[in-house]
Order: sequence, then structure tokens, then C-alpha cells
Amino acid sequence: MSKDATPKEALIKAAYADVHKFGNNREFDKAVKAVNRILGVAPDDPTALHCKVVCLLQLSKFEEAYKFIEKNRLSSLVFEKSYCEYRLNKQAQALKTIDDAAGAQPLPPNLKELRTQILYRLERYDECLDSYKDIIKNTSDEYEDERRTNLSAVAANLALDKNKDVPEVP
Amino acid sequence: LTPDMEPIPCKPLFFDLAMNYVELPSLEDKLEQEGKKGASITG
Repeated sequence: MSKDATPKEALIKAAYADVHKFGNNREFDKAVKAVNRILGVAPDDPTALHCKVVCLLQLSKFEEAYKFIEKNRLSSLVFEKSYCEYRLNKQAQALKTIDDAAGAQPLPPNLKELRTQILYRLERYDECLDSYKDIIKNTSDEYEDERRTNLSAVAANLALDKNKDVPEVP
Repeated sequence: LTPDMEPIPCKPLFFDLAMNYVELPSLEDKLEQEGKKGASITG
């Protein structure tokens, strides 16, 4: 296929350049408009559909993102769907979305992090603690302090239960 | 008569680190690649 073979392809290419630029600048209100230009001519473009969901999440439009995922049956966007549910306070459904999709596979880092936060909201602190210990052991990124703060929050909640010992946090 | 003060637990700080994974997918194959014009960029 030659480049810019049709006006439609040229439009899509230009719009993707805008999505890329605005995304890098974290101007997601502008990025979503560029994505809409793509979806106007290519409504089934899977990359554009994914971009739209990410833009809506970045704009804190969780309800709209959730409806968009459902309407377009974007079943591959497991993380984004579960994250919507998490932010819309549907914690049990958020957990189910991840666990149904993952099967017996080990979770990638994004789903593991999200699943651990869901366990916290579900007050399943024992499992949450184990999960954080596992993440901390296997991760080195710029959010280690924040993750240790979360681990302390789990430990604090466990400490409220008088039937349990205060867990040791690493 | 005031009741004795007693400590109650505060709500611990808890960060949303999953949000950091909400990122645009790679657009590499959607963007014009400089220096590769004329060559097939889709195949």
C-alpha cells in the first residue's frame, strides 16, 4: 500500500500525529478530538478505540469510558474496563473482569497493581498484603515510596482487627 | 461534663498507582516515519 493513497488515509495519519502530540503533552481534551476525527471515518479502528478509552480515563470521564467500552464490545481492554469499574465503585465486578480474563495466567504488572487496589477496597486485607509484598519484591520503578505507603495502609487496617497480629511490613 | 478524649484511627493514605498504567497504546505503526518515505511502511 502506498502512503497517503486516499484522502481518508491521509486524514487518519494526520489525526494520529495529533493524538501522539497531544498525548505526549498530556492534553487529552485535544487528543480525544483528534481520535474522534479518526473514528469518524474508521469507526472500527482498534487502536483509535483504545486511544479514545484512555483519553476519557485521563479526563476522569469514567462513566462515559465504561459505556464506550460496553457499546463497542472492547473485550480486549481488560485493564481499562476493570479500572472504570474500580473508579465507579463496582469493586466486585472490577475483580471479576480481571479474574475472568486472566484465567490461570500470571497477571501483567498493570492488572496486578489494579487487582491489589481492588482487594484493598474490598477490605480483603490479607490477600492485599500478600499481593503488595509480591509486587514490591518484583518491581523497581519510581513509585516505590507510594507503594510502601499503600502497604502500610493495608497493615494499619489489619492491625484494627484484634483477632490478628499486626503484620510485619518489609 | 465532657467525655474523655479517646484516639480513633484515621483513614490511612492510599495511592492509586494503577492510574499510571492508563497510557495510550503504541502509535509507532500509525505515524509517518521520516527517512522511510517511498519504502513500504506497512509491509
